[in-house]
Amino acid sequence: MSDRPLHQEEWAARIREVDRAARNERIRVLVWQISLLLLMLAVWEFGTRVPWLAKNVNIFDPFFVSQPSRVLAKLYEWIFGAKAGILWPHLFSTLGSTFVGLIVAVATGFAVGMTFSQHRRLAAVLSPFIVALNSLPRIAFVPLITMIFGLGMASKVATAWFIVFFLVFFNTFKGALSIERELLEFCRTLGASERQITWTVRIPNALSWTFAALPNAVSFSLIGVVLSEFVGSTTGMGYLIIVALSTLNSAEMFAALTVLSVVGVTLVMLFRMLEQRLLRWAPEFREQ
Amino acid sequence: MVEIDGVGQVYLTREREIWAIEDITTTIAKGEFVSIVGPSGCGKSTLLNILAGFIAPTKGEVRVAGVRVQNKIPPGLGYIFQKDTVLPWYRVRDNVALGLRYRGTPEAEIKEKVASLLALGNLEGFGDVYPYQLSGGMRRRVALLMTLACDPSILLLDEPFGALDTHTKTLLHRELIGIWRKMGQTIVLVTHNLDEAVTLSDRVLILSSPPSRVILDHRVDMPHPRDVFTVRETPAFAHHFQAIWRVLGEQFKASGVEELRAPTQVA
Repeated sequence: MSDRPLHQEEWAARIREVDRAARNERIRVLVWQISLLLLMLAVWEFGTRVPWLAKNVNIFDPFFVSQPSRVLAKLYEWIFGAKAGILWPHLFSTLGSTFVGLIVAVATGFAVGMTFSQHRRLAAVLSPFIVALNSLPRIAFVPLITMIFGLGMASKVATAWFIVFFLVFFNTFKGALSIERELLEFCRTLGASERQITWTVRIPNALSWTFAALPNAVSFSLIGVVLSEFVGSTTGMGYLIIVALSTLNSAEMFAALTVLSVVGVTLVMLFRMLEQRLLRWAPEFREQ
Repeated sequence: MVEIDGVGQVYLTREREIWAIEDITTTIAKGEFVSIVGPSGCGKSTLLNILAGFIAPTKGEVRVAGVRVQNKIPPGLGYIFQKDTVLPWYRVRDNVALGLRYRGTPEAEIKEKVASLLALGNLEGFGDVYPYQLSGGMRRRVALLMTLACDPSILLLDEPFGALDTHTKTLLHRELIGIWRKMGQTIVLVTHNLDEAVTLSDRVLILSSPPSRVILDHRVDMPHPRDVFTVRETPAFAHHFQAIWRVLGEQFKASGVEELRAPTQVA
């Protein structure tokens, strides 16, 4: 076999061909995914219309599981129809608390993780407490948090913080400790003061581990906020779900769940993009 | 330039003290290229760490330019580790500029100097990429440029080419010789590759297995400039290689059992 130089057009044509094959594959996967989704919706919509199924199988009883068409109608009603405006305050309340909780948790998690990595005795003294706190079922504290912080935003932010903080803290702490001695020595031979080492080596290194935790952190934060809304609040998507439960209104419940899942998926996607942007220099993190 | 005077180094374990280095005394002249070769665990990296002031010797002392090295990196000293020490979060350009920024050099001057360094390392056009986009050999060159940016008068190289393939290694040898010829640093290279030592250096020191001493101080009197590709074929190269190997091979044999027990870590 001998190497033959490719002409420019020939080369471009081959690249186009490879690109096209990759695109076709992506489209094929997408078609399958959409078909599967439509199939599930169809089973749900029409299964609940079969009298025998609806009567004898709970998960096909429209009283419990509603119907896609009714959920859609409810969503329409919330957004454009008679009750237009009912959704937004709840949605924004949940989103706002999620962001505030996330920001506070990431900031404190980073700060404490970084501090612990630099003060070994402090870390040694406090680590058992943090490990103990982390291994408790944190959900069990939500009623207490609600008792202390009341029915407003403070409770939601506190719950989100309580759930997210440990994730960020542990990631940052371990990352900050994982720095290699050689890297520090090398920068010292380049003339770095300890302060310069902190700013150019230790903090960027620790931050990369903090950023890597972002997509999980945002989804944990949302979980914390909704949980707090279940336990006691007067606004939010979790509150809507609890109201639907108390009125046994499954269409409303599914409408709220639909909004929450769209929000959750969107947030995680956005934060994955943010993470990739922030860690564009680190392929090993981005592939996680 | 570099005086090593009766240096010894002990490591303490619970059971006993281990003399990694028993007694090393030698002087390295200004602008000299010296290689230190020896079996694994012979304390050659430890010696380099002592020269750089990373650790203090148990006994004896090291003087650089007449000044005793004491828990402080001597001014004008550059150190290249075997491990990759390029900062992954900075672009190549900012990595090379790092030492100058630490010193507070004006940005205009930095820009100029970085450009000429990138040209020196055949890395023009790679200034704006991140290190992960470079090959292993290129990252080695970036680390070298980071050090050269600080205009070191002494370069300590701790098995800098150990993890590279022969092809890349030989090309980097050529670049290193070129840089050394141009700038005239004093270079101390730690390696376990005798080929490399003979090709590059003016003098090769052989350390014994621990507790280590210098058991051979061999002058490689082949003229400079040497061509890294053709020098290996010359009778002079074979002569020096054999003279050193006769001593080094004995040490390898003597420490062979230890070698099997403690596999060397590949970075």
